[in-house]
Parts: sequence; structure tokens; C-alpha cells
Amino acid sequence: MKKRKLSFIFFIILIFSFSWSFQDFRTHRERELQKPESKERTTHIKLYNQGQPFRYQGPLYAPDQILVKFKPSISEQKIQATIAAYKSKKLRRIPRVNIYQVGIPEGVEVMEMVYVMSQNPDIEYVEPNYIAHITVTPNDPFFKYQYALYNSGQDVGVPGSPQGKNRADIKATGAWEETKGDEEVIIAVLDTGVDLLHPDLAEKIHNSGRDFVNDDFDATDDHSHGTFVAGIAAAETNNQKGIAGVAWNCKILPLKVMDVEGEGLYSWIIDAIVWAADNGAHVINLSLGGEIGIQALEEAVRYAYMKDIVIVAAAGNDGDPVLYPAAYDDYCLAVAATDNRDIRPSWSNFGPEVDVAAPGVGIASTVPTWYWDPGALPYGAGGDGTSFATPHVAGLAALIKSIKPWLEPDDIMDIIRYSADDTNSSQHPGKDELIGHGRLNMEKALVPIKIESSK
Amino acid sequence: MRRRLSLIIVLLFALNLTCHSLSQAQTEEPAQAVKLKPAFGFEYFSRTIKWDDDKYTSKLQSYFFTFNMEFEIQEGFSLGVLLGYSLANNEGMIFRQLPFSVELGDKSIGGYLLGGEIKKSLISQENYEIGLFGQFVYSLGVKNTWDIPGLAVEGTVEGNPSWMRVSVGPVISYQGFDFFSPYLFLNFNRLWGNFKMEETIESLTGSEDKKFTGDGLFCVAVGSIFELAESFELNGEVSLIPRKNGADLGFMFKASYSF
Repeated sequence: MKKRKLSFIFFIILIFSFSWSFQDFRTHRERELQKPESKERTTHIKLYNQGQPFRYQGPLYAPDQILVKFKPSISEQKIQATIAAYKSKKLRRIPRVNIYQVGIPEGVEVMEMVYVMSQNPDIEYVEPNYIAHITVTPNDPFFKYQYALYNSGQDVGVPGSPQGKNRADIKATGAWEETKGDEEVIIAVLDTGVDLLHPDLAEKIHNSGRDFVNDDFDATDDHSHGTFVAGIAAAETNNQKGIAGVAWNCKILPLKVMDVEGEGLYSWIIDAIVWAADNGAHVINLSLGGEIGIQALEEAVRYAYMKDIVIVAAAGNDGDPVLYPAAYDDYCLAVAATDNRDIRPSWSNFGPEVDVAAPGVGIASTVPTWYWDPGALPYGAGGDGTSFATPHVAGLAALIKSIKPWLEPDDIMDIIRYSADDTNSSQHPGKDELIGHGRLNMEKALVPIKIESSK
Repeated sequence: MRRRLSLIIVLLFALNLTCHSLSQAQTEEPAQAVKLKPAFGFEYFSRTIKWDDDKYTSKLQSYFFTFNMEFEIQEGFSLGVLLGYSLANNEGMIFRQLPFSVELGDKSIGGYLLGGEIKKSLISQENYEIGLFGQFVYSLGVKNTWDIPGLAVEGTVEGNPSWMRVSVGPVISYQGFDFFSPYLFLNFNRLWGNFKMEETIESLTGSEDKKFTGDGLFCVAVGSIFELAESFELNGEVSLIPRKNGADLGFMFKASYSF
């Protein structure tokens, strides 16, 4: 009891100190903005993408490579010979799923090669190596309150944000009474990497992970998106620093699959999903996606799912159909976004694959220590996108796995779906394509439900 | 383990006494007619129960109505059976093995009751009598279905509890009054049971078979038998089971007629 009171007092002090700093910061920013000549880079504010959710506009797939799956009966020798026959080069083989990343000859069109190779009877399928992208970047530097976890209707500290609605949140505080997670449970964050030295994350990192972009074992974040995502899912909590993570005690396994621009080849993602599945992950967070679904990606996702891993993926931020891998309905939980009034932003992708929604507008989390100018706290507010809704769900999946380790991924996915609050029931009762079953409710998913009435 | 051993010893002791009495009845005394003593009873008890490896506790409150038939085989020795209906309330019991954890509310669950009794007078001196009384009661709850409120889809849990109670020990009674005999019943009192629950929420299913035991092993009961007429008597009893940090209470009322 004493401990709880103490934590509560610390929490309040923390919030006040942040609010105070932010007030100073806002005042300072307003002053700076009034001076046109100091507008460029004299403040700590870095407003990404004009405050809009990030939308990818680059190429759909890598121009010089493809992904090939040979039939299981084909020997390695024959595979090598076949690849050579097409004047192509084996770049690497993704283990377990046995998919070959193949470099094609210069001047040959990817789609042309895909067509030619698909005629080969030894090949099961051949696909372009598509490019996925992060679904959001944060657009404001500081946070005031984490309304996503507990919403009292407060101002979230982002200029222009609407007044929040009381308890339009994921009910984290009530759920933490039941569990704060098990440190044996690992959330693999497949993203731009994670700041391994961040004061609110360093103690939560399972190991330095794997960098599939640079092919080494140091998944340090060179972008910021992955650090932001990891903080939401499992920042160190009750440590008098920064923010609270959804899964207090669970660990983070950083896997870098997106480059400094926030883009990544499907082959990196496929490889990382398989690697996470083979290296102890219990939950995989994919705050990323691509417009095209390919068999190789689906196979990797299925591989992880079959290894009892819960996969949570962002629906996307284009107001379009759900991205891949979130759209692999049988294996992934697809997450849409809501705001601090439980309203779905129009940019949140939609479709029958959407399972649940979670707060993804004006979110506060961790940013890399190098992100702001020296002296600034390594936290940011105002993150928009389904990327930031997704780790709320991944955190909950990790908490469920912590207290009920015997449950299958399907069970955990169902618990998350069925415990959601149908916040748009007045317009769309029941499951719908906008927010699925509804906005996440951690309390209902974790805390025993009192049963009174019988049939 | 120790508790089980003591239960077995007590039961063996009771069995031994019964056999001994029966053999005495057959060898020393001429055969006599078996006296019948039907009775209607009502009992209430509130018992602290422990579950999930004794990590958690809640209360089992039970009311039961019984019909007892006592067969007095010989003077001072009788056997009885009891049948009845019980209402049990396991409020606060939590099922955490189910996909969605649920906590039972205060709704009582009906059940059928079956039991047996043994009563033997051991020593009778002046106005005092020391005897032995043993009873077991088994309650099998009927299956109940509860709605799980607040979910995005419809879901139910279905389950039924069962419990068994064994009490055995000496009864010291004073028979110096004309119409009533107060008594003190010190007994070993063991309660255990299980509650099986099955959860179904669309394709999501799970089940949990929760074992529980009563907290406390010994019971002190005081009561009195009032002889209202030659063949008609009333029996009232209040019991107390001390346990760590408190005690559990119960009471019993029985009206019997002998012929």
C-alpha cells in the first residue's frame, strides 16, 4: 500500500515536472517562432512532415533483386545452377523458410524476371523484394501526459490538440494491478532499431539484437521511430524517469529492419521475423507495412505464428486498405488508431482485417538521446500514426503472455479483440472495418471480470 | 500430508469403534428392534476456503436443508443417512486459468446433498455422557451458466461446485436437566472441494478445475437437545472454527421424531 502511494506521488511529481518543463518550452518556442530569423533550428522542436502522419511515396520494390522460393525437393546444387542460368546471383538464403534473395542482372526489369522465373517448374514462387516503410514519425518533442494509458480529459501538450475525453484510454492503470509483466517475456521490435543507451530503455533491452540493414548484431536506432515504438511498449516504469511503458517488466528485443530513411526491404523483415521467432521472442511488434502482400512475407509470419508468437502490426496511415503484414488476418493483429476522444483519425487505414484500435494520435514516448539538442530530455510528444497504436497492443499481448503463458497466439489475439471497447458503436455497432472490435481495454483483458447474472 | 494422515487415523478410529460396538451388540445382548428417527434439519456455515496452492482465500457460504434418517441399532449406537438440497455461494473465488479471468459474484448455486452419520455413546457417568459423533456431507452443485459482461462478443462460463465435509470427534453432554441436554462437540473438521468452470467465447475456450480446502481443521460446537415431547426433540447448535487471523461460524437446527 505504502509503495503504491509512493509510486503515485512520484508519478504526480513527474507529471508536474514535465508539464512545467513543457510550459517553459512552449513559451520559449512561441517566442522563437515570433522571430522569423530564428525559425530554422534554434529550438528543440522538430516538427516532422508538417505534423501529418507520414506517407511513403518511394518505389514499391527493390529494382535489382527478387525473392525466390524453390520447391522443397530441389537440391542446393540445382538451386545454384538455376540461379546462375538466369545470370542472377544468390545474395542470401533466409533460413527456416528457405527463401532466396536473388540479385538480377543489370538492365533486366524486376517484373520481367519474376515472370520468366515463375515459368520454371522447380520454383514454387518468385516475387519482387518489396519495400516496406514506417507508418509514422513523431511530430512534437515533449509530452505532457500519456493520455493513452490514463486519460482524465487533460490537454496532451500538443498545440492545437482537442480537449480529451475522460477515460478514452486503454485502462492501463487498472490492468497493472493484476500484472506488470514478466521479465522473461520478450517483445521483438522490428523497426529502425532502438536506442540501446536510452535511460528509460537500457535496462529493458534483452540484448543488442540484430541489424538486418547493415548485417550486424547492433540494432542501434539511427532514425528514432523504433525507439519511440519501444518506449510505448515497454519503457522502464516506476523509475522516476520519463514515461511509463505498457508492459512494465517485459523485455525488448531490438531488430533493425528499416534504414535511416525509415524504409526497409521485405527480405530484411522476413529475415527478422524468422530470427525473432528462433531467438526467444514472444511478441513481435511491426509498426511498419507495405502495400503489397507476397507469399514470402506471409510464410515468415506464419512461421512465427506457428512458433506461438503473437504478431501485432500497424494497419497504416494512408486512409487506404490495411498494409501487409497486418493484412495477414490469420496470423496478425491489425491495429488502427484512435485519438484522445476515442475518435478514429481519417488517415487510419481500414478494412476487414482491422482487429482493434489503440491510441495513435498525440502519443508521448522515448526518442534517442541524440535526437534533440544537448540538454533536452530524450522524450517526445505528439507522435501520430498506427505505428504508435501498435505497441500499446504488443505491450498488452506481452502482459497476457506473462500471466497466462499456456495460451496460444490465437487465444491471446481473441482476448485482445473481445476485450476491446466498441467506441464507435453508435455509428457502427459490432466489429467494423474502421476500428475492428474497438479500442483496446487492458483492464478487461487482464483483470478478473465479475460474473453475477446467470442464464 | 499430516492432515490427511490425521483424517485417516480419526476415520479408522471411528470405524473400529463401530465394528466393536456391532460385534458387542451381536454377542452380548439379545437382538432388539431398530429404532427409526427421521428429522428435518437446516444448517448454515460460512467457511474460509483456500485455493491456488493456498495463495488466495475466499468464503464458502452454504445453507442446506436436510432430511435425516437415523437408525438406532442398539442403545447408544446409531447410524444415519441424510439427503438434502444446498445453496452454496463462492463469492470472491477467481478463475485465472481461463482465457478471460472471472470472479464469482454473490449468486448462490443450488446442489444436491448426500451424507452419513455415526453416533456412539462411550461413557455414561451420573449426569454426564461422553460419546463419539461423526458426519460426512457431500454436496454436488448443479451446473450454472453465467454471462461474461462487457465483452465485444457474447461469452459465457459454465460450472458447478462440489464439496465434502467430514467432522468427527467427542461429544460431552450434560443430562441432568429434565427437558434439555446441553453438549459440547469438539471435532476434527475437514472441508475440501472443487469448482470446475468452462469458458466459451466464440472460438475461444478454456477450462479450470479449481481445488479448494477449508481453512482450519478443528471445530468447537456447543448445542442443546430439547425434548419437547416423548418422541419429539429439537436440536440447536452453534459452531466455531478457529483459523489464522479469525474464526468461521456456523449454526444448525434440527427437529426429529422417533418411533
